[in-house]
Amino acid sequence: MPHQETATYKAMLDATRQTFENMAFVEVTEQSEELAFESPTHATWVSILIHDPLQGEVRIALPSALLTNMTADMFGIEIEEVSESQHQDIIAEMLNTLAGLFMTNLIPEDQTYQLGLPEHGEGPVPENEENAIVWNLQIEGEPLLIVANGNGFSAYNN
Amino acid sequence: MKRIVIADDSATARMFIRRCLDIIGLGDAEIVEAEHGKEALAAAKAAPTDLLLSDLNMPVMDGETLLKWVKASPKLSDLPVVIITSAGNPAKEKELLKLGALKVLNKPVAPPMLMDALASFLDD
Repeated sequence: MPHQETATYKAMLDATRQTFENMAFVEVTEQSEELAFESPTHATWVSILIHDPLQGEVRIALPSALLTNMTADMFGIEIEEVSESQHQDIIAEMLNTLAGLFMTNLIPEDQTYQLGLPEHGEGPVPENEENAIVWNLQIEGEPLLIVANGNGFSAYNN
Repeated sequence: MKRIVIADDSATARMFIRRCLDIIGLGDAEIVEAEHGKEALAAAKAAPTDLLLSDLNMPVMDGETLLKWVKASPKLSDLPVVIITSAGNPAKEKELLKLGALKVLNKPVAPPMLMDALASFLDD
């Protein structure tokens, strides 16, 4: 089955669209190929661990400039006024929301799950694990990369 | 004037909830923000509070522990608690409702969702 037709892929795509469209009022579209970051040192990424019923990690990465623009729009302030803490908080909260929606879409209704606390990074995006699932998306022509590391996600494809 | 405590470790989430409250007609309420459950509990005890809106996944004291403390406190046990979480699903919702939560809402929170959850509260 093509990657894009799996339940895992669709669960994450729906979660991402719902999160970005509701929180940042931006449209998320799919890419057939990975869009390159203009400079890997200007990317912001944040990851969150998922515990029970599977162990895994979801990471989101996007250009820092795009995140700054979104932050300014969401807080209703000028780009120059965006603080580092607002920058980090917005992407962490979006990942938190996205990961929750993803798990809700993915696992059976009678199962619970737990999320860890988001962890930030700036600069080169970490390399994916060998069995990682990757979503190549874009917002306003800029790359939005989502990666799920862990063995358990694909078990829900059936 | 109503007094509402919002507990969430994310300033972004608190900002969204404030905007939603504003949109549904609670813009003139006294809003007290807390970054975790312990701070929210102290805020709720500090003055008569009408509503507590809490995230689930927070450092120091999480939303579930906060809910248990509120419901076990003779002073606060009647305080309506709405959980707004990214880690909710039907199984978790059932658990939280059993513990005494008024409603459990999934993030991203939107005004119609909050309005529906607070219908009885808004009527007062």
